Amino acid sequence: MKRLGIVALLLATVLVQVTWAPRLTVAGAFPNLALVAVIAITWTAGVRYGMAWAVVAGLMLDLTSDGPLGPHALALLAGAYLTGFWARNLDRDSLLHPVIAAAASTAAYSSVLVFADDVLGLPVPPLGIAMQLVVAASLYNAALMPVALAMMHKLHSPAARRPKPV
Amino acid sequence: MYGRSQSRSTGLFLTLCASMLLLAMVTEQTWAAGARGALKSYLAPVEAVMTQLAGNVDRVTAVFGDVSTLRAENQRLTAADQALRRQVVELNAAAKENATLRQALDFERSYGHRMVAAQIVGRGPDGFSRTLEVDRGTADGVKPGMIVTTGAGLVGRVQEAGPHGAIVQTLADPQSRVNVFLSTSGLQGTVTGGPAALQLEIDHSIGVTATSGEWALTSGVGGGYPRGLVVGELASVTHRDSSTSDQALVAWVNDPAAISLVLVITDFAPS
Repeated sequence: MKRLGIVALLLATVLVQVTWAPRLTVAGAFPNLALVAVIAITWTAGVRYGMAWAVVAGLMLDLTSDGPLGPHALALLAGAYLTGFWARNLDRDSLLHPVIAAAASTAAYSSVLVFADDVLGLPVPPLGIAMQLVVAASLYNAALMPVALAMMHKLHSPAARRPKPV
Repeated sequence: MYGRSQSRSTGLFLTLCASMLLLAMVTEQTWAAGARGALKSYLAPVEAVMTQLAGNVDRVTAVFGDVSTLRAENQRLTAADQALRRQVVELNAAAKENATLRQALDFERSYGHRMVAAQIVGRGPDGFSRTLEVDRGTADGVKPGMIVTTGAGLVGRVQEAGPHGAIVQTLADPQSRVNVFLSTSGLQGTVTGGPAALQLEIDHSIGVTATSGEWALTSGVGGGYPRGLVVGELASVTHRDSSTSDQALVAWVNDPAAISLVLVITDFAPS
């Protein structure tokens, strides 16, 4: 039941991302709510939990974009894994770390997405434009991270109380 | 214990990555395109509901901001109206002359196109591919490669189509390329997508320079787009004598965040 609730929440997040979020474009970038949600889940519930939801959210994103199914899931997996690595090795209670992790994970997500498109023979943006978009998106997602984390703590409080999330 | 847990996570990560790569390679195949398009079409009705909801919320929130800006906007529109009246008079005169010349040359080319109206139900999930999702697909005669416009001008091209939905690559997409000519100087160039504005590279021509305020229209060169579709207005031009081309920023006639309805040209086949 709880898993169905999270699937519904992720579906809503993805739908908001592809309908509402592009209206909030700043410097060519708009918030990647699915990525922010996956990072928040990973930070509160652990890396394996985060990676599982990264696949679900990523496939949903793939269904709303052009090209094959998989690249967004792959990119979100990289973001979740990096966040999990960060959370395991640094102070989990600090607010600064998830914010920096969100920026770093956005950069990892973007790099993997562009790399996957390149490997699959899909068109990729020029390097200069890609860099500009990555920087803008990293800052945007980092700014949203405290809000997402606060929401995730409320929604996921039983899991957050677990002694040692893996 | 800690190390084992980390290696288990890494193992899971690598397995999932391999699975997603495999899925991507399988669904990329041409024989899987139909199933992929059909799968994507299933999400289109849900996106349509969300887009409608987003539009309603926008309308409600816009009321507050509108009241304060309407007065300034009214003044600006009055000035613009006067300028447009003058242009209409000039264009009417030009149109009469144009019609006479066409008749004289027995110009039989038709500008009418068959079109399918489609509602935008979603937008691309990230800034790397600026796409729109529409609620019309192969069942409505929409096919990959078809040109998409609005009443204002060119929007882009259909990239992928399922039975009841299609994904449109817009001009703002960094991979988009459109050959254009300028309305006043007649110079030719190529418009490419960009994160903030459309970029135009204008080919040099002796004695002619592009100026801000000129309109960029599709030239039809290359056969990718029909000639004469409005792309946008030149916002700024950077001229360099040392270069073989000038750079310009184009204010696109369509705001991708604001369009809700598009027209798919179904009878133009790009070469």
